[in-house]
Amino acid sequence: MDGTAHAAPAAAPREGRRPRDLRADVFRGLALWFIFIDHIPDNWLGHATLRNAALCDATEVFVLLAGYAGGIAYGATLDRDGWLFAAAQVVRRVGSLYVAHIVLFVMFTAQVGYSAAALEGAIYIDELHLDAFGEQPYRALLEALLLRFQPAFLNILPLYVLLLLQFAVVLPLLRRPRLLLGLSLALYAATRLLGLELPTWTGGGWFFNPGAWQLLFVIGALIGYRPPGGAGAPLRLPWRRWAGWLAAAWLSLGFALLFLAWHRPDLGQAAPRWFVALLTEVDKTGLHPFRLISVLALTYLLAHAVPAGTPWLRGSLARPFLLMGQQGLPVFCSGILFSFFGRLALEYNDRVIMQVAVNAAGLFCLASVAWLSGWYKQRERARRMQPEPIPPGRPA
Amino acid sequence: MRWTPLVACLAAALLLLAPAGAALASPCEAPAELLDSGMPLPAAERAIAEGALRILVVGSASVMGPGTSSPAHAWPAQLAANLRDGRPGLAVEVTVRGGRGLTVAEMLPILQGATAPPPHVVIWQVGTVETARGLEPDWLGGRLTEGLEGLRERGIDAVLMDQQFSRFLRANADIAPYQDAIRIAAAAAGVPLFPRYELMRHWADAERIDVERAPRAGRTAVVDQLGECLGQALSVLVLRGAAAVQRN
Repeated sequence: MDGTAHAAPAAAPREGRRPRDLRADVFRGLALWFIFIDHIPDNWLGHATLRNAALCDATEVFVLLAGYAGGIAYGATLDRDGWLFAAAQVVRRVGSLYVAHIVLFVMFTAQVGYSAAALEGAIYIDELHLDAFGEQPYRALLEALLLRFQPAFLNILPLYVLLLLQFAVVLPLLRRPRLLLGLSLALYAATRLLGLELPTWTGGGWFFNPGAWQLLFVIGALIGYRPPGGAGAPLRLPWRRWAGWLAAAWLSLGFALLFLAWHRPDLGQAAPRWFVALLTEVDKTGLHPFRLISVLALTYLLAHAVPAGTPWLRGSLARPFLLMGQQGLPVFCSGILFSFFGRLALEYNDRVIMQVAVNAAGLFCLASVAWLSGWYKQRERARRMQPEPIPPGRPA
Repeated sequence: MRWTPLVACLAAALLLLAPAGAALASPCEAPAELLDSGMPLPAAERAIAEGALRILVVGSASVMGPGTSSPAHAWPAQLAANLRDGRPGLAVEVTVRGGRGLTVAEMLPILQGATAPPPHVVIWQVGTVETARGLEPDWLGGRLTEGLEGLRERGIDAVLMDQQFSRFLRANADIAPYQDAIRIAAAAAGVPLFPRYELMRHWADAERIDVERAPRAGRTAVVDQLGECLGQALSVLVLRGAAAVQRN
């Protein structure tokens, strides 16, 4: 945290395309890895993910950085080709996410049914009515297509689908950041204060309430978007020492709370009860303000502590995460699939060997998907630009 | 045929080893830190001093002891038996309320309705139904806090009990956020958490009690064993909670 590290992340060069912000890629890659790990209960690596140390976890980071990437990519398309084109591009993405979600849903359902049948006669498991599909198959299918039936672990994709859809609608407001942020905040506040939620078939609301989570996505988009003409991002927070201290103090407070109420409740007894009880109020469904502030404070500190050109971002250790972050969508979808296989493997055997194997194979597969997807896109782009007699247009 | 001497040797070795291994530890042996929450149970302490302890068990299906050979092998009955063994002369009364598929919200009226006479300790088994149905973890946490707060106002001790360990549940339901909600609600209310999940995982890892992997023919015996060990562990937790009051 020396003086040179304090350059605002918005230092974009004036000519043409701005260089990729590798920090966003690396941290997004890390978040995707954490999501994979946290999707496998009783995975020992789960004790090392963000959720153990902060009042926010990889989901928050992922949504913020998804907004950031969306702000860069679709913001640029918006300025180049107009709203309709950019919105169509977003909707195409939504289409592939939706298809991925339905495919995963079918796989999960088949697996639950199969596993449950294999356990027949285990009466003690009788109350685990995980197999809603088995009871009302046609209804369950319909509700799944409507995103109103989200079996366990299949709740981030529907959130992502809805966040992107609403982003397609409000895209032009990227040029009017105050209005966009105001509207987003108003929706967040209304969602929390009035208890708005999207109902699910199984009772209660969505696991991640889109009305609340959209705020994080919008903030990310406003940090990422660069208006044409070389102006900085609409939302910029230059380094201030006091703000840094405030962010650090907030994160420490969050850790203290987590430590006393979650890691060591026996020590938590010595703390005032109201303090420990604070944590019961911090909900994830509606993105409690504590969680929102935590992820923003973390981002603020990291964005200023790690300047854009930091060498380790290009190092071999960061390389897999860099690749994963750059291919966010395929890695995210395949990560959910791989964590499903990981859960099955641990269901079969959860000894050390299997834990190591699952985590090593998981990271390897995620990085492989990222590498392959990046390589393919590069080749495809090169081929598209080569044989055409027409002078190459703008970079796609 | 060449293998015969080797097989014989192995069999002999196994025969020699088997009884020694079995005698090493009781099947219910568990890491000490799982049974010592450090949270005091003042009402239990007073009741034990007065010689009569009333416990109310509230929960979903598992409180009824499905799969056991008789209700006496379910963990609530085993808890009573172990308390009587541990404290001869203590009048122990364990009442069980609940049923299959009950959510915490449906258990709240049971907690409030327990008045004549009120229990000293409530053992509240929660979380399985919410996890299986994928209800909001925050919703679970809120109802738990509500219930625990009500008990505290009435001067009744509470012990929260979490889900059973099950590889099937773990693979197919997102159990972690529900475990977190239970843990945080217990810590915030200052009540002990009986870590049933961790205990059962420990026994399964040690290959002592593993209901899911038990062959069908022997499953009832394994479920009985589980009830016995859970009851024993729970009685340790209650007595230690009562003792923690005297230490303070």
